[in-house]
Amino acid sequence: MNVVPYVIGILILLIVPLFLSTYWIGLVTRFLIFALFAMSYNIVFGYTGLLSLGHAAFFGTGGYVIALLHLHYNVNLFWISLPLGVLVPTFTAALFGLIALRVSGIYFLLVTFALGEMLYSLAWNVKWLNSRGMQGITGITLPDLAIPGFTMDRTWYYYLVWIFFITSCILLNRLVRSPFGTALVGIREDESRMKAVGYNTWLYKYLAFVISGAFAGIAGMLFSYYNYFVSPKHLGISTSFLPMVMAIMGGLGTFLGPVIGALVFIFVENFASIFFPQRWPLMLGGLFVVIIMFAREGIGVYLWRILKKVERRFGSIKS
Amino acid sequence: MEVLKVEGLLKQFGGIKAVNKVSFSVEAGEHLAIIGPNGAGKTTLFNLINGQLSVTEGRIHFYGKDITNLSTHQRVHLGQARAFQIISLWQKLTVIDNAMLTLHGTKPHRFKMLRPTKDFKEVFNQAMETLRTLNLWEKRDEPVKNLAYGEKRRLEIGLSLAMQPKLLLLDEPSAGLSKGEGSDVIALIKNLKSDITALMVDHDMDMIFEVAERIIVLHYGQIISDGTPEMIQHNQKVREIYMGIEH
Repeated sequence: MNVVPYVIGILILLIVPLFLSTYWIGLVTRFLIFALFAMSYNIVFGYTGLLSLGHAAFFGTGGYVIALLHLHYNVNLFWISLPLGVLVPTFTAALFGLIALRVSGIYFLLVTFALGEMLYSLAWNVKWLNSRGMQGITGITLPDLAIPGFTMDRTWYYYLVWIFFITSCILLNRLVRSPFGTALVGIREDESRMKAVGYNTWLYKYLAFVISGAFAGIAGMLFSYYNYFVSPKHLGISTSFLPMVMAIMGGLGTFLGPVIGALVFIFVENFASIFFPQRWPLMLGGLFVVIIMFAREGIGVYLWRILKKVERRFGSIKS
Repeated sequence: MEVLKVEGLLKQFGGIKAVNKVSFSVEAGEHLAIIGPNGAGKTTLFNLINGQLSVTEGRIHFYGKDITNLSTHQRVHLGQARAFQIISLWQKLTVIDNAMLTLHGTKPHRFKMLRPTKDFKEVFNQAMETLRTLNLWEKRDEPVKNLAYGEKRRLEIGLSLAMQPKLLLLDEPSAGLSKGEGSDVIALIKNLKSDITALMVDHDMDMIFEVAERIIVLHYGQIISDGTPEMIQHNQKVREIYMGIEH
């Protein structure tokens, strides 16, 4: 594997806060969080071929764990919130996977959708899950790392997210290139043959679903700190929709596709909300149609092809 | 030694008995062919033995173990391998990926999550060796869909052999092949190691009579004859209903 582009990408993300205002750092933080969310979704949809419409259930659960710890127990210590913020969404995914993977295809989509909406209405209706007098939980503060003489601010929080993002990238990259990851692609391409050569395909799908849920939970956890606020909508369809759009726009089943999808999505969304706040859904729709028409396999794949073409014409630019 | 023993096997689709009270057993190393006109229940029988379908009634034993309620992948781990009638290879994946994925299926490290697939040298070498013998090593990076039909067949059968099964289920191995390609397949089956038991279904009688040591004739889901190729050839009932030859 050629690691040079990856190293360059990592370094750019490392030094970029030095040149940016707090606002822009926040935006890049948001991008990394959603890129992680979209990558986790890509494991289930892109690699395994399971179209889930309830992935926000795990994202939102991660966020709610952080918010509830803050609201009811006044816990802000990262070393307590982190394990719970990962374990609870993982457990939720383990439970939902048992239910949803009893069926496949369109029924899987419907069941995941229903489970996500169930959490949405639970969060909407249960008093304990809301701040007093509102829907959702507000006032979440940045995590306390309990390092003497260190105060967390938005720039340091960016680096915390950066660490999670890079670590997750490395783990997920290893995952998709392992025998386990190859088997997921085999299931996407032909599940009955996978069974016929000895794979317990149900178990593979289940594990992929749970692992994906765990990473979505991490993304949700990081998001609630970033956003200061979680609401029921972070568990429901409108949020489940986001990683799907990002993964499809960037390139399903490719490793970096969802990251590129998230990049385009977050930055276009930002510009749109500055200049034409009412028109963002329309612009997203238009953007999506254009991508599906001209770069169906995703922007990531499209750019990769152009790069290859340039390389072929001018010889290898760099190795 | 009995490899496979099927007792009173019944498979009902609605009111149709696709396989109707079939009982037979296969000895180790035997090359058994199942023939019969279209719709006789041959592929259904294969699906029951390999576990793609569940039985309505009856038992299946594999090396003395009752496997009736085991899933396909569990049967594969016990030593079954199958080549399908319709090519079942992963069309979009490359030849080498197909080989690696097939060979990994029965390996204990198929659940490994953090080591790249290509680092498992033992499986890679086995894949390389298999593709070399199949004469497909040069095309290892081609997606399977770009191969010629005969090459796909060869790959499919070759890969199921590379799984080193105890029982090989061949569903119409010569379907759609030219004479020359068909004889490649015949050679492949004839050269099976003596410890591999083969069960095959085919329409190509020349091939069946050349490779099979025993033949079972299936008609409307029932066994109407079971014996050596010579016996089958001279069985009057078989001639009438299956070959349509009157003497």
